[in-house]
Amino acid sequence: MTRYIIRRIISVIPTLIGVTFVIFMFQRLIPGDPAIAMLGEHATEDSINRIREQFGLNRPLFLDREALATGDLSGFFDSQYVNYMERLSHLDLGESIHRRIPVLETLKLRFPATVELSLLSMIIAILIGIPVGIISASRRNSLIDSVSMVGSLIGVSMPIFWLGLMEIMLLAVILKWLPAGGRLSTGFEINGITHLYLVDSLLNGDLAGFKDALSHIIMPAVALATIPMGIIARMTRSSMLDVLQEDYIRTARAKGLGGRLVLFRHALKNAALPVVTIIGLQAGTLLAGAVLTETIFSWPGIGRWVYDAILGRDYPIVQGGTLLIALIFVAVNLIVDILYALLDPRIRYK
Amino acid sequence: MTQINPEEFIVTDFAVREHRSLWGDAWRRLISSNTARLGMFVVILFISSATLSHFFWEYEPKKDLDYSLKLKAPNLTVTEEIPSIHPFGTDKLGRDIFRRVVHGGWNSLRVGIVAVGISLIFGGVIGLLTGFYETITMTTVERITLFGISGFLLGSLSAWIANQPLQLVGFTLLGLVAGYFEGFWAGQLKRVVFFSVLGILISAVPALFAGSSVALVCGVLGLLTGIFLALALDGRFFSNVMMRIMDMILSFPGYLLAIAIVAFLGPGLGKGMIAIGVVGIPVYARLTRSAVLSVVNKEYILAAQSVGESHGRIIFRHITPNILSPIIVQTTMGLANAILSAAALGFLGLGAIPPEPEWGAMLGDSYRYLTSGAWWAVLFPGLAIMLSVLGFNLLGDGLRDALDPKLRT
Amino acid sequence: MKADMKKLVEVRNLKKYFPGSESSFFHTGNDVKAVDDVSFDIYEQETLGLVGETGCGKTTVGRTMLHLYRPTAGSILFNGVDLITLGEKELRHQRRKMQMIFQDPYASLNPRMTVGSIIGSPLDVHTKQDRKTKQDRVQELLEMVGLNPDFVNRYPHEFSGGQRQRIGIARALALNPEFVVCDEPISSLDVSIQAQVVNLLEDLQKKLGLTYLFIAHDLSMVRHISDRIAVMYLGKVVELADRDEIFLNSLHPYTQALMSAVPVPDPDLADKKHRIILEGDIPNPADPPVGCNFNTRCPIAVDKCFKEEPVYRETADKHWIACHLVK
Repeated sequence: MTRYIIRRIISVIPTLIGVTFVIFMFQRLIPGDPAIAMLGEHATEDSINRIREQFGLNRPLFLDREALATGDLSGFFDSQYVNYMERLSHLDLGESIHRRIPVLETLKLRFPATVELSLLSMIIAILIGIPVGIISASRRNSLIDSVSMVGSLIGVSMPIFWLGLMEIMLLAVILKWLPAGGRLSTGFEINGITHLYLVDSLLNGDLAGFKDALSHIIMPAVALATIPMGIIARMTRSSMLDVLQEDYIRTARAKGLGGRLVLFRHALKNAALPVVTIIGLQAGTLLAGAVLTETIFSWPGIGRWVYDAILGRDYPIVQGGTLLIALIFVAVNLIVDILYALLDPRIRYK
Repeated sequence: MTQINPEEFIVTDFAVREHRSLWGDAWRRLISSNTARLGMFVVILFISSATLSHFFWEYEPKKDLDYSLKLKAPNLTVTEEIPSIHPFGTDKLGRDIFRRVVHGGWNSLRVGIVAVGISLIFGGVIGLLTGFYETITMTTVERITLFGISGFLLGSLSAWIANQPLQLVGFTLLGLVAGYFEGFWAGQLKRVVFFSVLGILISAVPALFAGSSVALVCGVLGLLTGIFLALALDGRFFSNVMMRIMDMILSFPGYLLAIAIVAFLGPGLGKGMIAIGVVGIPVYARLTRSAVLSVVNKEYILAAQSVGESHGRIIFRHITPNILSPIIVQTTMGLANAILSAAALGFLGLGAIPPEPEWGAMLGDSYRYLTSGAWWAVLFPGLAIMLSVLGFNLLGDGLRDALDPKLRT
Repeated sequence: MKADMKKLVEVRNLKKYFPGSESSFFHTGNDVKAVDDVSFDIYEQETLGLVGETGCGKTTVGRTMLHLYRPTAGSILFNGVDLITLGEKELRHQRRKMQMIFQDPYASLNPRMTVGSIIGSPLDVHTKQDRKTKQDRVQELLEMVGLNPDFVNRYPHEFSGGQRQRIGIARALALNPEFVVCDEPISSLDVSIQAQVVNLLEDLQKKLGLTYLFIAHDLSMVRHISDRIAVMYLGKVVELADRDEIFLNSLHPYTQALMSAVPVPDPDLADKKHRIILEGDIPNPADPPVGCNFNTRCPIAVDKCFKEEPVYRETADKHWIACHLVK
């Protein structure tokens, strides 16, 4: 068992190296010079070079062949990529080219917003998706089944941004029940350890703050949750159906065990496996879908931030933000694999 | 023991059933499902309106502009103020949304087909080859090709560093030799030494002309390349490497990768198609590979080998027809996904260049007017996206049920 | 068995090892020794039965003999020609002469091909005949195996297990082979159908002058069809002799145990039979025991059996045995 976990963790390393490499490559290949982007088109040759030097943009990308030709072995390795990897190794993510603020700082500031949104969406998706799936499976081909399956299919087909806009249209513009954007209304402030407003406001006993935070987060969270919810519901249903047909369920029923007991004790545990995998996969989709949701709801998270940075050629932000997102993705997959191994005793002995 | 006379045993006709092929069965199942029929209807509607409007309903987006009609609500009758019918209203530039929505379908259709096409072709081939060679040993010709390519790729680093393209030739030849003489001194240290020395010769000796440190670095690379080629690794190794690369691409959230690719390639619908297509390649690779693996271990593949069928024939006549089911389902769902992704890219301003009508871009243009009440500019394009995606998803679902082997007797 | 019969296939010191989990380039770690130094001959037009329990390597022998697996060592001579010496093209040509019938009638036919194409594929690969000729040949083959030729365009799933096996037989015979390996062809069939198929195989052998290697684990069927029988245990042949010799006068303790397990229809005789029951575990083929590989379960093993491997030698006329305790 532990051997499997160790092997799995080790296999993450080449993936991570590959990830850092790809992130690095894409940024450098995008046309457009950040120095000019920063200083404007009429800047002097001198200042452009100064900026380039400062950000190490005038070193070759990977390896300095000319340095090697002159026998300079250490100069050979002085390149953008090597320097980038070296700084990464002590978690130095650099500074935003445009704003001069350290990337790590801004990351820490904006990350909790995205986390809170994603977590809440995931919770909503699971809390609704799984029960719907179970009920549909136990009442196969009934009206409830058809309605919920078509409903989840609709959910999966809906563009997030459109759903969000529809929500805004209905609930914010027409009915005026909920605010249209942002994380908190002006005048509110919530401080705390987790930086998740919902949690912190409860910890502080700040009910008004909690209400306000909730009113802001509920629309984007629901919008973001629709697709995972649909997928989880369908997966749960199909997995439960598979399990319910198995012989050991028939045996349990033949023994006289009641419907609900059979459902929960026997069926659920075995049906859980593919669902867990799917939930893990959705985590990545959520983080990515955050970009769109954050745009519409003016949510101060990293999704939108990274997107803007890509367009603005702000390399360090893009690198830092994408790296974080990719890291989370990889970490979640790793956790899902390990969880899977824990739940399915057959895997452990491979 | 009584002797049973074989001549008496011509099998009498079993109750002659109507001849049913497997595809026919599947089609019948598909037709009988309500949701699948609905999906098919929507998909056919989508495809026909998109193609027909593109070829028969004139529309020049660049000339479409009328500020006097800016942001008017939908109207079905003509009035003095608004001299034309706009069932879906008008957008911020006074353009008829209905017309743009219908024409936008053509763009979405194109994106879907090209993107899925790219993913399917590249991903499918990768999956097919990795699944196949993971199990079946390569012929000599195949092996030589593979090793030649490996030699070329591995040697390219050294060639680049020393700025000597001729090294590439040397390394490719080394690869070809290693592939041909696979059994030569197999499993012995002699073989590794032999190829390493050759590797160093190919890389370091010419590099000496460029400088001693260059020769040093190249020598190391040549050594490593030689060792690798000497190991004569089999198809399983290369399949694993390829799938590992696919996993790495998969470890990126798809949206971000697509955005990055588009940022790199520049805006435009064509670039968006490529981006979405590339992001989808590992998905199809994985799917095809697992389908191939489940087929390749069946006895009829072994039977084909014992008959003496070539690898090409096995792949085309035996493997491909039997892996079509999951691929068809995935392609349909993939089309749905591609349309959704294209809309997302369009919404963010990547993708279709204005004033091309594209549903996502239309949403992106108009969403800031939502608060001032222009709900029609946001509702209808989004509805179009949702319905077409829903159609493909319903159809894909129906296909999955129809093609599911568990339901087959 | 007449002493002057010609040998069709000669297997000499055949070995097939599969890499275990600890193998790498330099070090063949715990290889699974599926076939470990096997030698025998098969004469023209005879049926050699090959029996043994599951996992003893008999299927691997069959497949390696046809070069579906590359032998780790040893040689297979077909009409005097060692198959290893053949290049890929020549080997393919040689395949016309040696074919195989597979165990699983459900998995050995491509579900997406018509029966006609399945049977016709050897013709497609090896001949340049025109369509009509091929169709005629397919019809002929279908009749030969007792199937209605009108079903040429049907798919495998429309046939029963026994019928599918016949299709497999038809495919194997398409190019008039000399040698056919029957790899447990009846194990997946109903008992009543088994007899039909075995009789068909016998009939075809007489008609076409075929040579069979009949691999099975059902001894009563093997007894019916084989001229000689070879018994395998854990990758090695432990005994080889004429059919009647094996059943009435087996020498190796393993063979004797097997024979004692064959059901006898007459209840009185059955009572009188002495049943030998083997005890002990089957060793791991990746880690066979030192000495005779049967020593963990042999009821009459002595000291020598745990140290030295017995030599596979010929005792009486045409009776081969690998055991220390037999003269």
